[in-house]
Amino acid sequence: MSEHQLRVDWPACQGHGLCAEILPEVVSLDEWGYPIVHKFVNGDVLAMAKSAVRACPTLALRLTRTAPRPG
Amino acid sequence: MTAMTSVLRPSARNEVGLAPMVSQGPALLAGIAQGPGLVAHRDRLGPAPRPSAAALVEMAADVDLRGRGGAGFPFAVKLAAAARRRAVVVVNASEGEPASHKDAALMTCAPHVVLDGAAAVACALGTRQVHIVVPCELPSLRLVVQRALHERASAGERLDVTLHEAQPWFVAGQAQAVLQLLAGRENLPVTTWQPAAVRGHRGRPTLLSNAETFAHLGHLARLGSAGYAAQGTADEPGTTLLTLRGDGWDPQVREVAFGTPLADVFTGAEMIRPHLLGGYHGTWLRPAQLRDLTVSRTAIAAAGATLGAGVMLPLAPGACPLVRTAELVDYLSGQSAGRCGPCRNGLPAMAGELRALVQGQGSVGRVEELCGLVVRRGACAHPDGTARLVASMLARFPEEVVSHSLGRCRARDQVFA
Repeated sequence: MSEHQLRVDWPACQGHGLCAEILPEVVSLDEWGYPIVHKFVNGDVLAMAKSAVRACPTLALRLTRTAPRPG
Repeated sequence: MTAMTSVLRPSARNEVGLAPMVSQGPALLAGIAQGPGLVAHRDRLGPAPRPSAAALVEMAADVDLRGRGGAGFPFAVKLAAAARRRAVVVVNASEGEPASHKDAALMTCAPHVVLDGAAAVACALGTRQVHIVVPCELPSLRLVVQRALHERASAGERLDVTLHEAQPWFVAGQAQAVLQLLAGRENLPVTTWQPAAVRGHRGRPTLLSNAETFAHLGHLARLGSAGYAAQGTADEPGTTLLTLRGDGWDPQVREVAFGTPLADVFTGAEMIRPHLLGGYHGTWLRPAQLRDLTVSRTAIAAAGATLGAGVMLPLAPGACPLVRTAELVDYLSGQSAGRCGPCRNGLPAMAGELRALVQGQGSVGRVEELCGLVVRRGACAHPDGTARLVASMLARFPEEVVSHSLGRCRARDQVFA
C-alpha cells in the first residue's frame, strides 16, 4: 500500500479549516487557522483525505503519491 | 509589463543604491578591464563553442556545477531534465536580495560571458527562445544587456531573446515568481507541483537558472571539464562570485576560486566580527567559526551555514547581532508577498517578538515556536529563510539575548569569539 501526502497550495488556502474537521488524524490547525499536515495519509484514512480534498472551498489541497522533489 | 498592484515595499536597493566595487577575477571576471563589448570578448576568448546537450550535461556533472541562485541545485540534473523538445531558456538576473550585487555586476561588466552560456544552453536544447530577467530598479543594466544583444545579433547570432523586468521586491527572483512574470502575471511566487525543468513557461520544459550559473556554463563549454577545474579544489572545481558587505558602505563583488580562505577575502578587523553568511536568508557565524573557513559549499555547510548566493555580511563594528536580526526580520516580514497564511501571519509575529526581545521582553520560546510554524509552509522559501536567520541568531548569540533581557546591550564593547 503506497502512502500519499496531503499537500497544501498555500496561496490558495484561506484557512477555512474544513480539512481539519474532516481529517483530524492528519491535519490540525495553527493559531491562525491554517492547516498543519503532520503525517502521511495511509490506507485507513485515504477515503477521508479524498473527501477533505473535495471539500476544500478554495481547492487548496492535493493528494500526491510522489516523494518530495528537487528544485 | 506586469500588474503593479501590490502591498510590497520596494527593496532596500532602491533606497541605498550604493554601486559595488567590482574587481577583476580569475575566470568570469577576467576580462572586465577590456570593457563589456563583444569584440574585446571574442578577441580574448575566441568564438563560443556549441556542445551537444549530452556533452554539456556530462561536463556539468564532471565539475559538479551547482546553481548560483542560492539553492545550489546540481545543474547537470536540471539540464538533463529540460533536454526535451521545445524547451525554453530563462536567464535569471533579477537578484531580489538587496545585499546581493553579483549578478548585476556580472551582467554589467561581462554580459557576453553570461550570454555565451545562455546561447550554448539554448543551442544544446535546440531552442532559440531565451528570456532574460533583469531588475527594474537598475535601468542601466537593462541598457547594457540590450546593447550586448544588439552586438550579438549584428554578429549573426540568431537567438530570439525577450527581456523582462522583475519587480523591486525580495521574492521577485524566486523561480516560480519569475515564471509568473514571464506569463504576464504578478511577479510573485505560486505553488508549484512540478519542477520548471519538467513543466515551466507555458507548460514547456524550462531551464531557468541564475545569471552566474549560465556564465559558468559558458566557461565550462569553452574550457572543458579539465580546463574549468584548473581553478578551485578537487571536490569543488571552479570559482564563485561573492558580494561582500552588500548592504554596507563599501559593497564589493569578487570572484574567488573555491577553497580560498575567508581570511584572504576579508580584512583582519572584519574577521573578528560575526558574519551573516548567505544573505538575509542566511546563517550567522561567530568569528571563531570563520577563522579557518574557506569559500567552499561543503566547508561552510560543515560550519552549519550555507554559501547561498555568495552574500557575506560582516556585522558592523559596535552593532548587536540581536538588534541587526530584528531589523532584518522587520524588513523581511514587509517583503512577504502576503499570499500564504503562515508567512503573512508568522513573519510579522516573529518581527514583533524579536523587537520585544531587543527591549528585554519577549520570549525565546515563542520565537522558536513561530520559526517552527512557518517552515515549509509557503509557496516559496521566504519564511524558511527568515526562520533560518532567526534560528541561527538564537543559536550563536544566546548571551546577547540574555543581556537584553537584563536591560542592557553589551554589543558596543563586546569582543566576539
